Amino acid sequence: MSKAEAGPVGAPLPTITSPMIDIRNARKSFDVRGGGKTLVLDDISLSIAPNQFVSVVGRSGCGKTTLLNIIAGLDAASSGEVLIAGRRIVGPGQGQGVVFQQHALFPWLTAQENVAFGARSLPLTKSEKTKRACELLELVGLEASAGKYPREMSGGMQQRVAIARALALDPDILLMDEPFGALDELTRIEMQQELLRIWEARRKTVVFITHSISEALTLSDRVVLLAPHPGRIARDIVIDLPRPRLRTDQGFNALYEQIWSGLSS
Amino acid sequence: MREQLTQALVALLLIAAILLGVEFGVREGYLKAYEFPPASRIVQGFVELTTVGFPTGVTLWTHILVTVVRIAKGYVAAIAIAVPLGLLIGALPVLDKMTAPLVVFFRSVATLSLLPLAIVWFGAGELTKVILIGYGCFWVMLSNVIAGVKYVDPALIRAARSFKVHGWTLYREVVLPAALPRMFAGARVALGVGFMVIVGAEMIGTIQGLGALIMEARSFYRSEITVIGMLVIGVLGFLISSGLAALERLLLPWGGGLGETSR
Repeated sequence: MSKAEAGPVGAPLPTITSPMIDIRNARKSFDVRGGGKTLVLDDISLSIAPNQFVSVVGRSGCGKTTLLNIIAGLDAASSGEVLIAGRRIVGPGQGQGVVFQQHALFPWLTAQENVAFGARSLPLTKSEKTKRACELLELVGLEASAGKYPREMSGGMQQRVAIARALALDPDILLMDEPFGALDELTRIEMQQELLRIWEARRKTVVFITHSISEALTLSDRVVLLAPHPGRIARDIVIDLPRPRLRTDQGFNALYEQIWSGLSS
Repeated sequence: MREQLTQALVALLLIAAILLGVEFGVREGYLKAYEFPPASRIVQGFVELTTVGFPTGVTLWTHILVTVVRIAKGYVAAIAIAVPLGLLIGALPVLDKMTAPLVVFFRSVATLSLLPLAIVWFGAGELTKVILIGYGCFWVMLSNVIAGVKYVDPALIRAARSFKVHGWTLYREVVLPAALPRMFAGARVALGVGFMVIVGAEMIGTIQGLGALIMEARSFYRSEITVIGMLVIGVLGFLISSGLAALERLLLPWGGGLGETSR
């Protein structure tokens, strides 16, 4: 996918195409044990264009995962509006596919069954679900491991299955919560390339949570920095470097500095 | 491998040394045979038990059979009630909050302390023994089933919900399988409890069963028979527990128990 096709990416300015994800003044607070509330997310407004790859970067505890859960429909914002393709989010299955931090595969199901489980809510026959699962495993390069249980696979393979599973409902949006955080550096780089390949093949809007600046820079069209206590958007940076991106590139380093200063200020 | 072999060898030598020491001590009059039954006596006692029987006419095989049948009755009944009840309580937080103190209380009551009351209620016969075994197994199993359902990895629940799986489907296809390893663990612990309770439960009102054998031998100063009773109970418990572990590997080929601990 070339930059020109990615659409205007200069958010937070309103985009010309209607946004895939539109968050308006979202707040989220949790009840604290013993009374009172903590504000986790404060006045988040974020508009993400279709097929855009957006990374959300921030320190631990800045509400990244909470933000993702809200977009996923697994958690509701306390106030404000969250829309997907113009429709208010009422729950999961409105075009969101989620890849969790710890793969969260079902240990009692094989790779193929895990992916088929992703299509559980579709009105398909069992063999149609199996067929879809096989196609998706092929997409992530795991067709040979379809019969393996999660514990028989490496961390990288497990995350590939998790990605295939997240694609089972053919979502418009792929939400990823530090999916490669637990992987070793080499596997991690491999998975980043793999993800870009899948993203280009399937054309998804991606919201990718990470605390690795270089990961965000390698992958995204746009990097959103979250500041903690309470979680709020500190910076919104467009990454217009050509792909594939090199860590040795000057522009890469300049942006790295910019993000780092944004995070440490 | 070689290290393991050495360890096993040392352990064997140590046991042999103790056995020989006791044998020698009794022969030379330093130790009393009814306090420290020597190996030769234990072997004799074993032959007597398997041929003549002790008390005469009741062979070791009868004792084993009677004990195993009693445990099986109490155990199976306990599991059969505890599993559905635990699945229900674990699924409903309100019910769990209401019953939690009761479960902890009843599980903490040492089963054998109920013996006098159980005899008053159910007599000194078979029923009392089976009920006591069932009681001990039940609370252990129940608390494990509840915990299994309650402490399912929340990440798995969230993953399932993200695919629009909820309600009964979520319970049946995610919570239930996720709880299975814990339930199997509970079943194994409950079996151990059954073996602990049986000895006490058989100490009254019967001359059949391994517990009865141990008590009966005591009153005749036949310590070697007591030792045989202990050994047989140990071996039985080990065999049945291994059987359960094999069953778990067969039923949960995805390595539930294993996966949990290695994570």
